[in-house]
Amino acid sequence: MTYALDDAVDAVVIGTGAGGAPLLARLASAGLRVVALEAGRHHDPQKEFATDEVAQSFLFWKDERLSGGREPLSFGRNNSGIGVGGSTVHFTAYVPRPQPDDFRLRTETGEGVDWPIAYEDLAPYFDELEIFLGVSGPSPYPWGPPRPPYPLEPLPLNAPAELMERGCKALGMKTSPAPNAALSGSYFTEGVGWRSACKGSGYCQAGCNSGAKASMDVTYVKLALARGADLRPECYVRAFETNGSNEIIAVVYETRGELRRQRCRAVFLCAGAIESPRLLLLNRLANKSGQVGRNFMAHVGTQVWGVFDEEVRPSKGIPGALISEDTHRVKGLLGGYLLQSLGVMPVTYASQLARTTQVWGRALRDTMRLYNHTAGINILGECFPSADNRVELSDELDARGVRKPHVFFSLGEHERRLAAHAEKTMQDIWHAAGARETWVFRRNAHIIGTCRMGDDPRMSVVGADCHSHDVRNLWVVDNSVFPSALAVNPALTIMALSLRAADLFLAGSS
Amino acid sequence: MARRLPTYPAGTVRALLGTRDVTPATRKVLEERLAAPPRERPEFFDAHAFATLRALCTRLLALDEDPIAVDVAGAIDERLAKGDGDGWRYASLPPDGECYVRALAALDATSTERHGRAFVELNHDEQMDVIERVRLGAEGWPFDSRRFFEEVLAESCERFYSHPLAYDEIGFAGFADAHGWQALGLGVLAPREPRSR
Repeated sequence: MTYALDDAVDAVVIGTGAGGAPLLARLASAGLRVVALEAGRHHDPQKEFATDEVAQSFLFWKDERLSGGREPLSFGRNNSGIGVGGSTVHFTAYVPRPQPDDFRLRTETGEGVDWPIAYEDLAPYFDELEIFLGVSGPSPYPWGPPRPPYPLEPLPLNAPAELMERGCKALGMKTSPAPNAALSGSYFTEGVGWRSACKGSGYCQAGCNSGAKASMDVTYVKLALARGADLRPECYVRAFETNGSNEIIAVVYETRGELRRQRCRAVFLCAGAIESPRLLLLNRLANKSGQVGRNFMAHVGTQVWGVFDEEVRPSKGIPGALISEDTHRVKGLLGGYLLQSLGVMPVTYASQLARTTQVWGRALRDTMRLYNHTAGINILGECFPSADNRVELSDELDARGVRKPHVFFSLGEHERRLAAHAEKTMQDIWHAAGARETWVFRRNAHIIGTCRMGDDPRMSVVGADCHSHDVRNLWVVDNSVFPSALAVNPALTIMALSLRAADLFLAGSS
Repeated sequence: MARRLPTYPAGTVRALLGTRDVTPATRKVLEERLAAPPRERPEFFDAHAFATLRALCTRLLALDEDPIAVDVAGAIDERLAKGDGDGWRYASLPPDGECYVRALAALDATSTERHGRAFVELNHDEQMDVIERVRLGAEGWPFDSRRFFEEVLAESCERFYSHPLAYDEIGFAGFADAHGWQALGLGVLAPREPRSR
């Protein structure tokens, strides 16, 4: 479907990742006239995607961001995508659910904030998503509240998963095959068609060329197109036109060097926790609270790498095949973390080894010759909101002539203590598994916060339904609305928020 | 610590490229990388800065100790000439191109201060000494030399370890995935994966 620029469509959706794609499909399925604006291209994975990290770097958002604070965060391939499907095209497909207590951190610990919604508000959407995406996982799942069985058996354990299982067993820790949004068998979904089973390439972070991974381009975007959505790739949003009564009447975007203006009745901003607040700040919109850009969070994502006598060949198989949530709550820590086994591609491994250990010259070449014997464990740990961690506009312009985002990130006391605890746990697991040597990569992952949801318009940007407190027809739906980080990978929760926002929007407009 | 380092046969990647285990998209990328000639003349850097960068990359990856023909410095020059980036930079460093130019000049200043000559004119041990100063924090730099060290080492690493010849060195065959990998467990290898000698 194609709509005219001067046709006031029901909704314009900005971004086609985990935030934009599910609601795009939902609104189109309800018969609404929707236009999706995506900054990047629409790829054909089977033809275009090479099994090559450098060649696939077109999947990453490369407009430069300035990274500051005491623990400056890396962007690009670490967490930021471009193109139809957004960052889900290069996510690892890890989709554990958050647990109910993740939403009530303030009540539980006296610090951070509670979400204005509960686990139970999202649970029906988790149920729906796991079926729609075709999640492969264990049934029953060993942690958290009871849930319906996953639709597919878990993916096979690769060597890093077997090693982590061995180490955890020796320490008396429980493990389980992890839930992954990659198919363990061929799978049919209405409106999407058949997708084939995962081949175990292990190149999830460089894009899946088979369609087994449930990135948004091969799932919700496909459904949205089948239901009549107007998808416009290579359209970069520059501005919003408003009328006198706090209402957006058109979205202005750039495509192939030209500016266009799409009239609309509602806007869903789903550009992620850097570009969403950046667009609002550039347009001085939806920020009466002064909270836009504030409370930027990134999970504690420490990795410990072990070298083993056995052959590991760590690029093979789904990278995160094993999980443990035994450390979801740890005595003496605020919040907790999950543990996952980790496979890795060689360029990513070499790059982070070099940055972290600073080994160089002959010693670097020797260490890399142990690549085939290397396995990782990664954590995802709670990160508390802090007003000082933030996204601002720099005075420096990027290649498009737009002010660059300047991101400030520093760890607080809770995150430092959690990271230290996790580091010791992972070292213990690797030593119990028989590692000959280990090294630690202290890092933070995922971009969260900056347009947080809440009931109090003075302290939040959107309400519990993702609807802007200030602008009558603006919704923000992506990782930027998270009030706290959740000790879990964010993609599944973003998708659940997206479907829920669409349902509330449809209920309100009917 | 004494390590047992695996040694893999040369030529594995070229052999695999001739099979159906490599997808057409992957084959195209790797064959182009194998065939790319070294950059004769820089586009972004001046001749001296480029020679300095080449000498630096040679040391960072020990490229002359057992020669592997990967043109790391040429790839950096090509990127900067195109104005490409990786999506972020440390706010404490200037933009990538300016950062490299000023850092390479500062590298010469540190070389001159410690050994009386420009970096390219130093012998192996003198170059190692200067790089170690840069890694630990050299004085008189326009910005923190440790951050530059991290950046140039990471970029060199990414260029080098994406090259088929480096794949051969570390015994990597993960790109040969056209039919996927069924042999996934610990110690389980598919017939097409290289074995350590």
